[in-house]
Amino acid sequence: MPQSVSRREFMNLLGATFGTSALIRIGSALSLMPAVAALSRPVLAAPAPGAGKVVVLGAGISGLTAAWELTKAGYDVTVLESSNRAGGRVMTVRSGDVIDEIGNRQVCEWDAEPHMYFNAGAARIPSTHSNLLSYCKELKVDLEVFINESKTAWVQDDAMLDGKPIRNAELSTNVRGFLGELFAKSFSSAQLDEPFTEAESETIMGLISQFGGLDEDMLYKGSSRAGYVSGGFINHGVQKDMIAFKNFMKSRMLSLTFTANEGETGPMLMQPVGGMDRVPAGFIRALGDRVKYETPVKSVKVKDSSVEVVYLRDGEPQTIVADYCFNCIPAHFMSGIEHNFPAEYVHAMKYIRRGEAMKGAFQAKERFWEKEGIYGGISWVNAPIRQLWYPSHGIHKDKGVILAAYDFGGGMNYTRMTQEERVEMLLSQGEKVHPNYRQLVEKPITIAWHRMNHMLGCAARWGRSGGGMTLAEEELFATLQQPAFGRHYLIGDQMAYHGAWQESAILSAHWALADMDQRVRSAAA
Amino acid sequence: MKKRNLAVCGIVLGALVSVEALAQSEAQVDDHYYNDRYCTTCHGADGMGSEGISAPRLAGMEEWYLKRQLENFRAGIRGTHEMDLQGREMRPMAMPLTDASIADLLGWIGSWEYKPTQVTLAGDASAGRTLYATCAACHGDAAQGNEALGAPALAGQNDWYLVTQLKNFKSGYRGSHADDKLGAQMAPMAGALADQAAIENVVSYINTLGR
Ligand SMILES: Cc1cc2nc3c(=O)[nH]c(=O)nc-3n(C[C@H](O)[C@H](O)[C@H](O)COP(=O)(O)OP(=O)(O)OC[C@H]3O[C@@H](n4cnc5c(N)ncnc54)[C@H](O)[C@@H]3O)c2cc1C
Ligand code: HEC
Ligand code: HEC
Repeated sequence: MPQSVSRREFMNLLGATFGTSALIRIGSALSLMPAVAALSRPVLAAPAPGAGKVVVLGAGISGLTAAWELTKAGYDVTVLESSNRAGGRVMTVRSGDVIDEIGNRQVCEWDAEPHMYFNAGAARIPSTHSNLLSYCKELKVDLEVFINESKTAWVQDDAMLDGKPIRNAELSTNVRGFLGELFAKSFSSAQLDEPFTEAESETIMGLISQFGGLDEDMLYKGSSRAGYVSGGFINHGVQKDMIAFKNFMKSRMLSLTFTANEGETGPMLMQPVGGMDRVPAGFIRALGDRVKYETPVKSVKVKDSSVEVVYLRDGEPQTIVADYCFNCIPAHFMSGIEHNFPAEYVHAMKYIRRGEAMKGAFQAKERFWEKEGIYGGISWVNAPIRQLWYPSHGIHKDKGVILAAYDFGGGMNYTRMTQEERVEMLLSQGEKVHPNYRQLVEKPITIAWHRMNHMLGCAARWGRSGGGMTLAEEELFATLQQPAFGRHYLIGDQMAYHGAWQESAILSAHWALADMDQRVRSAAA
Repeated sequence: MKKRNLAVCGIVLGALVSVEALAQSEAQVDDHYYNDRYCTTCHGADGMGSEGISAPRLAGMEEWYLKRQLENFRAGIRGTHEMDLQGREMRPMAMPLTDASIADLLGWIGSWEYKPTQVTLAGDASAGRTLYATCAACHGDAAQGNEALGAPALAGQNDWYLVTQLKNFKSGYRGSHADDKLGAQMAPMAGALADQAAIENVVSYINTLGR
């Protein structure tokens, strides 16, 4: 005799699968925040006479955003970038490029064709990232659709089905069937507890039946959603057998079928045509030679009414004096750059931990995934490579670049491997999904953000408790958000509650610009 | 990854040069930019040391010592122990270096201005002074180092780094490689420091020696 479930409990159960509030909760646990970002571009006043000089440290997206808005407002802006390219963690790899990983330099030898590229850092633009999208529009960065989910892509886990990969559609259909049956059963007892009207019951049962693909008896016996074994168009389709839930039970990847494409990574996503580095390229077109390359900053001193920055040019120190400074250099580097920041500011800066992330990619000799009916999207593997991404672009061309590994939260083991070990890892784990993978791919590129020159990490980590930021961490954040001595602003996605997106970097710059503007305006008043 | 210099060359030379010439200039750009002088990304401006990366001060440190450490890292005598997390960050940086490149780097490091380090520890320096008596035999009274004994200067080094090294020697993460003869001399000295507090005290005393 099943224990009866009260209406509230049932609603909670229902909410856990369908309800938006529940999804948002799941979403924020996974750092997915689906709200459409409000356009936050500040309207800047023209600089006060003789006080319009700004130096921007780092040509990351936040630095470029600040530089561009200030330039438009009439400020005299100089951007100092230590690398020989703009974009920081926005980086596209294509033929002839050098991967500037310290200790593991690589040269990309893929075919030189417009679609043969790979976004080694940022790759996806959610529809909700209004500010980034508005810059794409303004700076004439053409966008196309990015396919994140493909139901024909695979899910592979050694802990289920003897390690045999299963199509995303088949897995999710069977999991939903099981859950649907469960809901139907709990609903009958919930009804006893606190009856619904007949119309309500019908609606709910209809929803459950549709959700799970259940039969008239509210039982799951397989569904055509999982795909046919054969036929289906001009003859009868042979439906696939259902796979009982117990076969999946040991896998820890099932929630993926519900969450991987929700929130920020839910449809619709976009990418710039030709590579994510078209975004920084758009800013560079607008900023011209205001951006200086190979000019590493070595000292930042805030004075009474100015900021003095020393940088190297051809190894020789140069000094630039400005009224304000916007700095997107990753905070973990600031302990190796001379400065005179206040103690509490330094304390907060030291609190931030370096994030980890890794990616890998191959040139595929043929687009073998298309022969398997896969066009774009992601296969999931329960192994350190985690994901295989099939390009949304270049469909039906001869070759393509396949993303062979992506771990956003981890990657230190990968970082510590030699190039050969990394490549073997990509191959041996990719092989679990595509049996002759090893023969089909070539010319590996591996990216370990922890060792990339001038970056040495990925999105800054503020929270150490596993959940969000604690109150104490929020206080440290607030300290660091305020400009040091009213003139030096730390920006970048490191200065966002919700980092790891270009939108975060842009919003941090907007916040700082608005704050500076307020100071400028009140000084003028 | 956009090659800036390539674009600049394109503008300067205009349409007169052939594509081949541009390709050549690109190769030159790579040579100039991608050299072995990437040390400051981790070790900080002018090798001042960077706590955020756990990479110590190189500026002002003895050339003979730096040379041996680079060779040790390269040979896997240092930075290979599973638990030596910081050493394992450094080792891949030393592995590609040639002897000529090491010589070039040492010259470059020698040109950096030494600036005093910041004190980050608040241990008991007077307790540390007693502990330091043993150390002085090799590292010198003023922790100025002793080349003949292979013991480096400790004064002027980042205190947080000295702490990591003492912990690593004590735990066998450093100095336990069969070919690390000098490390083997140092390891028991760190082993004699009872605990974290003793380590912090002795380093706090070294901090008072200035430079
Ligand atoms: C693997 C990966 C996947 C991602 N996926 C996405 C995605 O799909 N969509 C998305 O929108 N975002 C994504 N992001 C996040 C996004 O790339 C970042 O949030 C954003 O680019 C950060 O910009 P920033 O302004 O903070 O600067 P950063 O990119 O951190 O740039 C910092 C700059 O400072 C420079 N610098 C360092 N030291 C010095 C010095 N001493 N002197 C001068 N300059 C210096 C660096 O060279 C660099 O150019 C991803 C990131 C990674 C790594
Ligand atoms: C990726 C970051 C990184 C880079 C790049 C790097 N180092 Fe290091 N280095 C470290 C770290 C971290 C340590 C500390 C190791 C430890 O704690 O044992 C270290 C230690 C050293 C030491 C030992 C110092 C001592 O007192 O024992 C020397 C010497 C050194 N590095 C030289 C260099 C040189 C020269 C370069 C450039 C070729 C370089 N490093 C590049 C991270 C780096
Ligand atoms: C018998 C001689 C000897 C004594 C005594 C000694 N050391 Fe050392 N120490 C060395 C040598 C040799 C090295 C260099 C090891 C190497 O080359 O890797 C060293 C290295 C070190 C280092 C690493 C420095 C760096 O830049 O990487 C520290 C820290 C250190 N010693 C601290 C101490 C302290 C503290 C004591 C006293 C408790 C002490 N030593 C006693 C010989 C000694």
